[in-house]
Amino acid sequence: MRVVGLTTTVPIEVIYASGATPLDLNNLFITSPDPEKLVHEAERIGFPRNTCSWIKGIWGVVKERGIEEVVAVTQGDCSNTHALIEVLESQGVRVFPFAYPYDRSRELLKAQIETMMAYFGVGWNEVQRTKEYLDSIRRLAHEVDRLCWEEGVVSGYEDHLFLVSTSDMKGDPEAFKLELEEFIKKAETRKPFKEEIRLGYVGVPPIFSDLYQKVEERGARIVYNEIQRQFSMPFDTDDLIEQYLLYTYPYSFFYRLEDIKREIEKRQIDGLIHYVQSFCYRQIQDMLLRKEVRLPILTLEGDRPGALDVRTELRLEAFLETLRLRR
Amino acid sequence: MALYAGIDVGSRTTKVVIVEGEKVLSSEILLTGSDPRGASWRCFQRALEVAGAKFGDVKRVISTGYGRKRVPFAHREFTEITCHARGASFCFPGVRMVIDMGGQDAKVIALEDRGGVLDFVMNDKCAAGTGRFLEVMAQAMDLDLEEMATEALRAREAVPISSMCTVFAESEVISLIAEGIPREKIVWGLHLAIARRISSMVKRVPQGEPIAFTGGVAKNRGMIRALQEVLGKKLLIPPDPQTVGALGAALLAQEIDW
Repeated sequence: MRVVGLTTTVPIEVIYASGATPLDLNNLFITSPDPEKLVHEAERIGFPRNTCSWIKGIWGVVKERGIEEVVAVTQGDCSNTHALIEVLESQGVRVFPFAYPYDRSRELLKAQIETMMAYFGVGWNEVQRTKEYLDSIRRLAHEVDRLCWEEGVVSGYEDHLFLVSTSDMKGDPEAFKLELEEFIKKAETRKPFKEEIRLGYVGVPPIFSDLYQKVEERGARIVYNEIQRQFSMPFDTDDLIEQYLLYTYPYSFFYRLEDIKREIEKRQIDGLIHYVQSFCYRQIQDMLLRKEVRLPILTLEGDRPGALDVRTELRLEAFLETLRLRR
Repeated sequence: MALYAGIDVGSRTTKVVIVEGEKVLSSEILLTGSDPRGASWRCFQRALEVAGAKFGDVKRVISTGYGRKRVPFAHREFTEITCHARGASFCFPGVRMVIDMGGQDAKVIALEDRGGVLDFVMNDKCAAGTGRFLEVMAQAMDLDLEEMATEALRAREAVPISSMCTVFAESEVISLIAEGIPREKIVWGLHLAIARRISSMVKRVPQGEPIAFTGGVAKNRGMIRALQEVLGKKLLIPPDPQTVGALGAALLAQEIDW
């Protein structure tokens, strides 16, 4: 079986159409039994202490799992990926670079996707058929998301997990589809959560293992997982290129912001958690978010994998207390 | 009589305030050390003594601060953010922003006109801009905190300090001393560097005035001068800035619906 690691979301239709199995390296890293060990291993061979732990974790998991081929996003994600793939290449890993055009040019994105199709040896027919199949699974993930924000029968953590898994469909779309169907059936019979505070989660998925639990323990619930939802391709379109142009994550912050504002309104959100990764360029965008969104915002910075540290927990607690007392 | 107590177990010191209505009966400070539970009890005993009250006279106790979960006799806990906001708006009704600099925390809180918390930011992953940072620098220069403040007040010029990592700033200070740079210039440079850091936190919350400055660091007149210069604004300083959090907790103990 040809296994292809992903540094972030790419058109997996192309990979699945070729018969290969895509695996999101972020998901493999963070769900591995000891993610901290993977980061540590990367630092041991010379990755700097002050670089993103996701980059180090991806390197670690590629080594641990013996992954031999990677699709790496070289534009539309961070430039640390450039150095990461250079290190991987120097260690014999085959890398296909994929670039999302910052200006959301249809022609450039089409050229990128077609180059990727040539690399994987597939044509538009197979890719389109695969898209239709994967879309049927994505619709189930969208239903989970709706059950979270509208019906209140899915926790913020479950929503996060299912949405984040759509980036690679867990390497087994059929099994993932069954899992989603069974989960939805079960969730529909639940009693709705009675949260006091509805939160939105903006930014890349957290490196913390217990953020959602800590939020829910304190009577609040995350009902919007911004980037995770983007991984599930929430905009309905039959056109594959259009789908990856509508996808917000790799493009301008202001384009992301349109989606954020729309969903805040729709999901009746009381406050936002803006998660930023230590040493990530996206930390800079915090000032834009604060300027543009008129809601209380808690910016949480995560560095290494593991449970929330005491200071972060205090800030979370103070934020929820503030929202509660304002009512 | 119905008394209410607030206990602020901070990273460096523990503070207890006992109130009756709007009257502050006692306000005590002790070093927290490595035993927050013991420190909170001892400080509470002392505050009772000063207030001339018994344990049974205190109707409710609210704890706050990093050790707030370690106070077995507290009825409820609130975070420092809520307590500092309450304490500051009691000292200065109508205050719209609070800059609080404590032992290991620096926070900026924006308040609504009714005194509730609108938004806040708090230092993260870094001790620069906290009381502990100043303590380490004072130690490196063989000064006590009072002398630091005096040096900062008399300085006319500052030497720029580029490191804000506590450890690196300490070695920078040591090499500046070795170069023969006058102490007050270094001290003033440190104060300005911290004030700039706080000012970037101030810009991240909704703007409003007047601004109160609380926490143990607000006892340092050098820091008041630096913040006022960098922000270009006058700051309100409570009579006892270090106990504002405990005061807020005591007032909340009295006011909150239980």
